[in-house]
Amino acid sequence: METLAIVLLGFFVAGYFVLGGADIGTGMMLPYLGRDEAERRIVIASFAPFFLGNEVWLVATAGVLIGCFPELEGELLSGQFVVVVPLLIGWVVRDSGLWLRGRAPGGSSVWRALCDGAVVCGSWAVALSWGRLLTALFSGSPGTPAPGPAAVLTALAVAACFAVHGLGFAAVRLTGAPYERARQLMGRTRPAQSLALTAVLMAALPLLAGRLLPLYESAADGATLALLVPVVLVITPLLVAVQAWLWRTFRHRVTGPSYL
Amino acid sequence: MADLLTGASGSVSAETLDLARLQFALTAGGHFLFVTLTLGLATIVACVQTRATISGRPLQARMVRFWGQLYVINYAVGIVTGIVMEFQFGLSWSGLTHDVGNVLGASLAVETIVAFFVESTFLGLWIFGWNRFGKWVHLALIWVVTLTAYLSAYWILVANGFLNHPVGHRMEDGRAVLDDVGALLTNPSALLAFGHILAGSLLTAGFFMAGVSAYHLFRRTPEWEFFGRSLRIGVFVSLPALVVTAGFGGVQLASLADLQPMKSAVFQQKTAEIAQLQTDLAARFGPGNYVPSEAWTRGGALVMLIAFALMMYLCVAGTVLGCFRKVVFRFRLWHVVLMASVPLPYLAMISGWVFREAGRQPWVVYGVLRTRDAVSEVSPTAMRTSLIAFTTLFVLLAVVNARLLWRHARRGPVESGLGHDERAARDDRTDGDEPGPADPLPATRY
Repeated sequence: METLAIVLLGFFVAGYFVLGGADIGTGMMLPYLGRDEAERRIVIASFAPFFLGNEVWLVATAGVLIGCFPELEGELLSGQFVVVVPLLIGWVVRDSGLWLRGRAPGGSSVWRALCDGAVVCGSWAVALSWGRLLTALFSGSPGTPAPGPAAVLTALAVAACFAVHGLGFAAVRLTGAPYERARQLMGRTRPAQSLALTAVLMAALPLLAGRLLPLYESAADGATLALLVPVVLVITPLLVAVQAWLWRTFRHRVTGPSYL
Repeated sequence: MADLLTGASGSVSAETLDLARLQFALTAGGHFLFVTLTLGLATIVACVQTRATISGRPLQARMVRFWGQLYVINYAVGIVTGIVMEFQFGLSWSGLTHDVGNVLGASLAVETIVAFFVESTFLGLWIFGWNRFGKWVHLALIWVVTLTAYLSAYWILVANGFLNHPVGHRMEDGRAVLDDVGALLTNPSALLAFGHILAGSLLTAGFFMAGVSAYHLFRRTPEWEFFGRSLRIGVFVSLPALVVTAGFGGVQLASLADLQPMKSAVFQQKTAEIAQLQTDLAARFGPGNYVPSEAWTRGGALVMLIAFALMMYLCVAGTVLGCFRKVVFRFRLWHVVLMASVPLPYLAMISGWVFREAGRQPWVVYGVLRTRDAVSEVSPTAMRTSLIAFTTLFVLLAVVNARLLWRHARRGPVESGLGHDERAARDDRTDGDEPGPADPLPATRY
């Protein structure tokens, strides 16, 4: 049961890094990809239908963590308090920017610039916080935030992974000038290849970082796992199917703005 | 304050505890208020969309787009506060995950994976899939969103019900172990609250809908037919919703004598009983203060009951008045009253929540774990900084949310994004630009 719970945790966290990482990365590159308001709106439209479905992978990860490894969840989050709080704030700021961007009646350009700024800053804050959190996990001290210049460097490297992943996603989804800009940075690599490569890298990041966590030792009681793990195992293929439907529905490159 | 310091976990300062409690109260309370409207409005939008799909009438399809837009704006703020809340259990209350994580964590896990995951994915499909699916598929999407939102509320209340009335577990080495799943899932403290909150959220949405519609009828905007119908939906939903809410509330209040006698005694100001319970609890759990704050507990309950009484008069009168066509369109004093009473259900919901949560103090898990023993070992500075950051952010979001709701509500059913047919805009590009914000909202073309 413990092994199955660990597999589920790994599945959801890898799913978040691959899918959520793509829209976070594109959000980070928003000022580069979209030079004016209309272009930025198109760039946002490239991940608009997915971002809500992407971020729930992290919510689900937190759910598996608190359900199957409650003690670890408490220790990890309270130990990493100063890293997780900026991550959450970045997340909230970014989501607010996305949700509210198109909702100002009358179309005030100051409002949209403000929201674009929130999306960019929020995306960077989330990526950098993940970098710092993963550094602490890599160094084998999940209970304390990673200190020193090494942490800064690793955090920047992880954020760069997010950005490159987002760039690949943008190249696969966009058309016109933003597409050309995404291609420019990628050199001669084919967008699909680059995206596949960064996807593997993104999935590997949290899995490698998490291998040092004391998961077996901190698993929930057998009775809880016996209830929870089968339920999650049964529902997961359904969730994947629904997400696949979502991706299939909006699989075409974006050519115009969306609701956001 | 002095008794807070004498707890078992002496290492955590009283300041951290107070700040952590304030932070959780603001996050959970704020989230609760947004979700209240979301849950009720989703139900009404789903029902209106069902009628629109069956009848094919343009007016009803436009109602789906207008009320759906307000629903989505409100949803956005609800979801971000909810995300922060989910992480706060581990951030600020690691004692909770340590001692009762086996039970509490399971219900939260099921909520996120079985309910919220599906809800978010389908909401994305509903918002962005307008004009892309057949009308029946699009209708099914909103119903999945609504029903999984209910499921979400149920699982959260299983978790909250366990905090208020822990059942289905046994203690092993000071930690709770899941013992009886059936008892946990049918916890009266969860089921009664579930019924109470579902009906309460419908009541909130009913008052909201009636208030917004009354504004347009009062101002005599051209959309009189649109808002006449909406006002009637709001008013006619409110009375049954209020009766059901009050019913579940009454049963909950009666069950308190068994489940949480101290809360019941404080609410009824039975001094002798309070003293007796305090002595009993001190003998059972060791010295300490087991009486919750009377101001919050009794105050919360009284405000809730007053708001309920006011709403009762309004709902009964509204149901009668709503039957007369002329009254709906012309009784301007009633329109003013309806506009002014939009905050009433919110007031009742939040004060009822204060009564429930403040009244079980000093326990975070009633009779099992004290609040002060559950707080994480975080420095007061870190806790204060995060409190200030989250509070500023949430206050800002609440203000923006209120302003956006107000501006969209005031403009009425005009082109505002949700359900906008992008293909139409591209086809018509020859004869000019994108539809302007002042163009009347067309019905969805399926």
